[in-house]
Amino acid sequence: MIPGLRKSKRVTPKRKQCEQDIMNINGVQIDDTFAEAFNMRGTRVIVTAQNLKWAYNAANAMTGFATSVIGCGVEAGIERELAPDATPDGRPGVSILMFAMGSKVLMQQLETRMGQCILTCPTAAAFSGIDSEDQISLGKHLRYFGDGNQVAKLIPDTHGKNQRYWRIPVMDGEFLTQETTGMVRAIGGGNFLVLGTSQPQVLAACEAAIEAMKKIPNVIMPFPGGVVRSGSKVGSKYPKMFASTNDAFCPTLKGVVKTELDMDIESVMEIVIDGLTFEDIALSMKVGIEAACSLGSEAGIKRISAGNYGGKLGQHHFKLHQILQGNLAGATTA
Amino acid sequence: MSATIFTLKPTVTHTVDCRSLTPDMLVGKALAEIKALRLGAQHTVADVFDVTGEDTRHIVFKQARTCLHHIGYQMKSGQITIEGDAGDFIGAAMQGGVLICKGNVGERAGDTMRRGMLLIEGDAGEYCASTMKAGTLGVLGKTGARLGYGMKRGTLLLAHVPATQATWLDCGWHTLPFLNILYKSFKALDSKFATLTQMRVQRFVGDVSGLGKAEILVLAK
Repeated sequence: MIPGLRKSKRVTPKRKQCEQDIMNINGVQIDDTFAEAFNMRGTRVIVTAQNLKWAYNAANAMTGFATSVIGCGVEAGIERELAPDATPDGRPGVSILMFAMGSKVLMQQLETRMGQCILTCPTAAAFSGIDSEDQISLGKHLRYFGDGNQVAKLIPDTHGKNQRYWRIPVMDGEFLTQETTGMVRAIGGGNFLVLGTSQPQVLAACEAAIEAMKKIPNVIMPFPGGVVRSGSKVGSKYPKMFASTNDAFCPTLKGVVKTELDMDIESVMEIVIDGLTFEDIALSMKVGIEAACSLGSEAGIKRISAGNYGGKLGQHHFKLHQILQGNLAGATTA
Repeated sequence: MSATIFTLKPTVTHTVDCRSLTPDMLVGKALAEIKALRLGAQHTVADVFDVTGEDTRHIVFKQARTCLHHIGYQMKSGQITIEGDAGDFIGAAMQGGVLICKGNVGERAGDTMRRGMLLIEGDAGEYCASTMKAGTLGVLGKTGARLGYGMKRGTLLLAHVPATQATWLDCGWHTLPFLNILYKSFKALDSKFATLTQMRVQRFVGDVSGLGKAEILVLAK
């Protein structure tokens, strides 16, 4: 999603309303607000290679320029590393999660990225990483690169279900890919904001959050290093721009616009999360916020907030207080 | 449920056409019905085999000999295990499933096979994989003359170097990652194939007298 994309009339967090709404962790105030997220389509691809170095080379290329669906078509990231005994071909690998607003875009982007990033990467192979009745092409069309010399193999998996693979002759030997992978319903746009007294301190808190969140399966944080600094709002003074900087959260504009920031806040960064289920995203938000707050207010971390559109656009609301109280199911629809 | 076991009677000396004894043909049949099935004009299953078990998805031929022909003919799913030797045309026109022979097989094993896995732990006779269309055929023993005659597509996995043929082209030695996936699928089987780990193979492509898109992979020693 667009990081921090807000309606210009953004709902102000109710952080000063009443005593029972106040929550803080280690001196860090948690706003009584929610992150607003959207239905998406997602898939998982397992990429293996001769060693992890080359698996990462392939995966980094495939998940490159995939921070936001607005400009990149998909949001993608490396979910986790896989040991050889956890991959189909017994080689080290990584799993990639990829999300898009619709199935058509997801299919197009997956095929393009497979062709340009995995097919091209020495020793790399690609496999389905998720079961679903909805199957989308992984190597189904890429096989024609073999110019008639491609070989199909139908091999039963550990459950006895036949899986079709394609062996495509390439200059380093054979490119091996499964024919299809599963496509599932998913959620994109879970988020939280870290507000602090200096840029280095906020970045340190976000880094701590990302390290903790990387351990949670089924989610990715698609922005660079998992963190985004350019939250945006809907609209602009320039007619051709449909989004512009989220001025209410820009520290240097505190005296100019209707700000969301106290005078001691000098930096705000956001972590955006895409995941397979509501609970996956809620859990990752919980561990991320807790990790960020573990640095404490003495380390300059003052507030945790979240981005929403007033609750009218997104189908899923991640309420910070509920999540941090351990209620990961929460209300999922507007 | 235990596998359906067909134990060949020692008194049987005539050839037996086993094409009606596949998991697909026996599905839903009770033991009495299976025993009453006709194998050719003169014999029933009960005349030739002692039959036990109830799971028709897995069929076992015990004390099998070369008089048993067409085992696994056109089979589409399930598993057949042959404990002993088999005659000609085993796995012929196979369309799926797994067929394992723990002994030797006769001629034309895997003839016109389209899909599935035919795994022969012993030797295979002449014309093995003849006009095979696709699928995987493994032979751990030796193979006879005219191996892969007219073979169109599919993979022949061999433990022994076959006789040189003009219509099979040597593509050299390779380490193929897909073999690991194939070997993983063997792990679930009660077969010598489950012990395979060799990823290094010599690849031949043929039969170039025809379509020429099949391959023979000879495992390195």
